[in-house]
Amino acid sequence: MKKERVLNQNKVGKLSDITKLIKDGDRVAVGGAWLSSHPMALIRQIIRSGIKNLSVITILGSVDIDLMVGAGCVDRLMFSFVSLEAYGLPPNFRRAIEKGNLKYDEITGLAIILGFEAAGRGIPFLPYRGPFGSDCVQQRPEFYKTIKCPFTGEEMVAVPAIKPDVAIIHAQRSDSSGTIQIEGTGGSDLELAKAAERVIVSVEEIVPTEIIRENPYKTKIPRFYVDMVIEAPFGAHPTSSIPTYVGDPWHMITYSEMAASPETFRQYVEQYVMRSEDEYLEAVGGLKHLNLLKKLAREVKLL
Amino acid sequence: MSQYAEEYTIAELVCVAVAREVEDGDILILGSFTPLAFVSYILAKITHAPNIMYMAYSSVDAMPFKLTFASYEAAATKGGLARWNMTECINSLYLGTGVDVEPISSIQADQYGNINISVVGDYQKPMLRGPGGAGAPEVVKMHRKMLGYFPNHTKRTLVPKVDFITGTRWRIGREARTKAGLRPGPIKYITNLAILTKEEENVPFRIESVHPGVKVEDVINNTGFELIAKDVPETEKPTREQIRLLREVIDPYGMVAFDFKSGKERLGYLRDILNKEVEALGY
Repeated sequence: MKKERVLNQNKVGKLSDITKLIKDGDRVAVGGAWLSSHPMALIRQIIRSGIKNLSVITILGSVDIDLMVGAGCVDRLMFSFVSLEAYGLPPNFRRAIEKGNLKYDEITGLAIILGFEAAGRGIPFLPYRGPFGSDCVQQRPEFYKTIKCPFTGEEMVAVPAIKPDVAIIHAQRSDSSGTIQIEGTGGSDLELAKAAERVIVSVEEIVPTEIIRENPYKTKIPRFYVDMVIEAPFGAHPTSSIPTYVGDPWHMITYSEMAASPETFRQYVEQYVMRSEDEYLEAVGGLKHLNLLKKLAREVKLL
Repeated sequence: MSQYAEEYTIAELVCVAVAREVEDGDILILGSFTPLAFVSYILAKITHAPNIMYMAYSSVDAMPFKLTFASYEAAATKGGLARWNMTECINSLYLGTGVDVEPISSIQADQYGNINISVVGDYQKPMLRGPGGAGAPEVVKMHRKMLGYFPNHTKRTLVPKVDFITGTRWRIGREARTKAGLRPGPIKYITNLAILTKEEENVPFRIESVHPGVKVEDVINNTGFELIAKDVPETEKPTREQIRLLREVIDPYGMVAFDFKSGKERLGYLRDILNKEVEALGY
């Protein structure tokens, strides 16, 4: 069954409204990839709202996943990759798994995307030339099934549709009806939106529909997939929202240092997360610092 | 005067060796944060391989750019000729046309072309939980050439058998690959000591070359599996021009050295680069 279309025209909400759409125990797919375009303001709000026992799905996660795991929101995690990249391994994710405190499914990257694509098309599985020989398959035999192509007889791997209860996504722009424009680095956010029962998108700016119509090719998610849009400038911080601003390497250094031990991580949550978003942006350096991140995104040297 | 540089760092040598593996016309992908690989692509593109096409983040056919730390995603995006999100990249390139080379760094690699980016020790309760393989488990078998790079060539990295097979080359020899519908091509491990190559299922890795100043015994003694070491030449040194391009044009902040720093040194190294970057902006 395909999900229902969302046709109402005014979907603008506030951060505090997310509890209407995300409940304890939900299966939540998180958008963005690497250290780019993660819905960080929504994640901070999940923590502030005390939403718990989530089953989280990420393709390429980083500080988004580490923060949620560390704050105790996650019961189970499906991932293909979680890394702070230049800033090292994700400390909370590592601690939780190495101590046996987090149930997890390490599912290969293309398989998760295919699972979302299957759900979006309303079919139960999709086949591909899977991760033959990978131990990930042995660990999760219920997820990977070998099938024979009915036309050629070739051996293929089938993966099941993945249907999250909620997808949370960050994008550059939307109108009030939830027409979403994505300009820079895009994970598989469109596939998340198609697969999930409910979709929440935070955006840098909510603009009149006429502005969207000026550049229709930037629209990546049409409004009928989207349940709620929330204006959250710098809502991807400390990850990037290209072309508007780069990721914040200074804050990522702070994060990786403070997440290094459970004690300093608790301080991090108090100092940066358990406040309003405005206070958060002030705490990470305020307007001058945020303008530097914008300038770094603009002034690049091509050869 | 010789065309070869007299002075260079090991990171620069490895970077140039990776660039030399790139052939004109190749399609390349930047996976996660791998500045050395990206400098290699750019170096190849502005020297011997102008027709290569590379993908970085969502940017298709990105232009060469000066590598910085804070803005390199922005630079890759700005110069690109299209935007594809991750699904489009995967469907079109990985599963479609096929990527030629993607240098992959892993915690362990073994004599069969298996890589481990998942765990050291027991899977359920590991000593070290790594990041996971992203798409590597599916794509290392598909690349024309499998390229692993290792800044620290030791028996702990190059092991007889990896603790966990995150991804594998799966089919190795020309015939087996062709039969499976995969393009033939070697497995290469480029390390801080040598270049190791494997082309046949039942033939061990061969030392293709040792870097200047490294002895063949050093390579054998630091590798956890059998190697063929017959008439081993020296790895071609970087040329003066390659080193000039790296230092003056592509990578003035020395990002290629990043992978060669220890975990402890890295954040300090990044801070220094960031300071220089911001200074250059006049901020």
